[in-house]
This record gives sequence, structure tokens and C-alpha cells, in this order.
Amino acid sequence: MIACTEFIPAYSELFKFLESRGGREAVLDFWNYLADNFLGNLKSLVEENGIRGCWLYWNHTLNEEAADFTMELDEDAGEFRIVMHHCPSKGRLLEWQHIEPYHDYCGHCDVLYRRVLEPSGYQYIFDMSECDRAKCSLTVRRKEGAGVSSL
Amino acid sequence: MAKQTIRRTAANNVYLHKDFHGALSTGIEYLDQQYGPEAVRAYLRQFSSTFYAPLTQALQERGLSALQEHFERIYRLEGGKIQIAFSEDEMILEVEACPAVTHMRQHGYPVARLFYETTKTVDEAICEDTPFLSELLRYDEQTGRSTVRFYRRTP
Repeated sequence: MIACTEFIPAYSELFKFLESRGGREAVLDFWNYLADNFLGNLKSLVEENGIRGCWLYWNHTLNEEAADFTMELDEDAGEFRIVMHHCPSKGRLLEWQHIEPYHDYCGHCDVLYRRVLEPSGYQYIFDMSECDRAKCSLTVRRKEGAGVSSL
Repeated sequence: MAKQTIRRTAANNVYLHKDFHGALSTGIEYLDQQYGPEAVRAYLRQFSSTFYAPLTQALQERGLSALQEHFERIYRLEGGKIQIAFSEDEMILEVEACPAVTHMRQHGYPVARLFYETTKTVDEAICEDTPFLSELLRYDEQTGRSTVRFYRRTP
């Protein structure tokens, strides 16, 4: 068994493996597949709860991942934001000296969540400028005039 | 509706996100469908030879006790029940139910057709270039219950 605490390097190596087989396109194809086949819970939570669905989704995952983060929800403004002070995934990849992380490891966070949230009526803004220090931020904003359900 | 803010540090929680098993299973299934079963094995060998390199080195230097410590640690972490029969030249690892498969079944994640390779191929790869071999003796796809034998190669 690969322990769930060993998943992140397994994930990183999978991206490298795919790129070696089919280039960048093969990695993107997989990320799209993952968004469509693994993130159904995020999609459902947002459909059922509006922007609060983001809060419910990431409140579960980031706590289980023991992340160092600030999370904000403003339902009136239709905005949700995460500031990742130290990403547990990228942080571990940077700490392990015997493995080389996939060069665009953090790119999956841009592709996957965008693919789920934008068709549901949200703008997804992901700042990866400090990813090499295991820091990032994301903002999800309800699009003007989008017919999104709420509580 | 009020604004809500939470602030958490790594020290507030234990790092244990079992949904990652579902993500790995999705990746295995994708590789199987798009590239075939040999790609699944090649990927798992690549991952294992890289990530578990320190474990392989410990196996070379200290023998099967290195593997025993590894398995006791990860199954304790995941709450899996195991039994290990151990001697200098052989170790039998009995897993009552795989915590990864149990979690996926409980939460409705599909278990990849070749998910057992995360045991078989990974264990084989960890033993590569060491005096030991591994053999998956039994694996139940429904529960992940398994028996793996690690033993010294014959010259």
C-alpha cells in the first residue's frame, strides 16, 4: 500500500511519467480527467450551497492536509479566498531531498479547480507566483449575473 | 450573511487525508485505460525506485527489519490491522483489510482494476537491487486483504 501521506510524491511522479509519454498535453489531459472524475464533490457542494460550497470543500481537505492557511468567505460579496501560507503538498516535495518535484506541480491546482468552478458560474483566480516557496492564493468570485444557487 | 474567516497552522491538525487514496486510484485507472496495464506497472516502478530509494537502501543495509518498520509505521498511521511473521531471511506481511481500499469503498470512490499493483509492483520495486524478493501470495479485491512474502534470493 502506498500510504496517503506518500500520495503527493506519487502524484508528482505520475505527472512526470505522463509528460515522458505524451508531453505537456498528456499531463493536461489527465488533469482534465481528474477534474471530471474526481472533483464531483466540489461541483455538487457548489451547486447545492453556492459559494459556501467552496468553504465546505476546502474546510474539509485543508484541515485533513494539515495546511497552514487563512480561508475567508463573504457570501454577500459572492467571494471565497484562500491564502496558503505554507502548502503541505508543495512543502513536502521541496523538503524531500531525494526526489525532484514535477516542474509544474502546482499547475494542477489551476487547471482542476478552474475546470470545475468556471462552468458553474464562478471566476477562478489562482496566484502561483510564490509556488516555489510553497505559498499561493486562490480567489473564487461569483460572476455577475450568474444564476447560482445559494442557501 | 456574515463574513467568515478561519486561520489554521500545520500544528492544528494531523496530516492524514485519506481521500488521496481515491485520487491515486483515479490515476491508476486513467493510466490503465489510456496507456495499458504495463504503463501502470512502469509508473509504479518509477515512483517506487525514486521515492522509496532510502527504504531500499535500508533494506540492503539492515535487512528485513527495515521493511518491518516501514509497514508497521504506515499501517499504524492509517489504522490498518497487520500481522508480521519475521525471521532473518523471510517476512510474511498479513494485512487484514487495506486501509486505502476500505476508505474508498466507504466513501464511494471507484477502486481501480489494477489497484493491487500498488502493493505488488511497489513491493517488488522496493526489493530491486537488494538481496530480497517479494511475492504477493493473496489479494482480495473487495477489501484489499493481502498476504505478501518477502524472502532472501537464492544465489
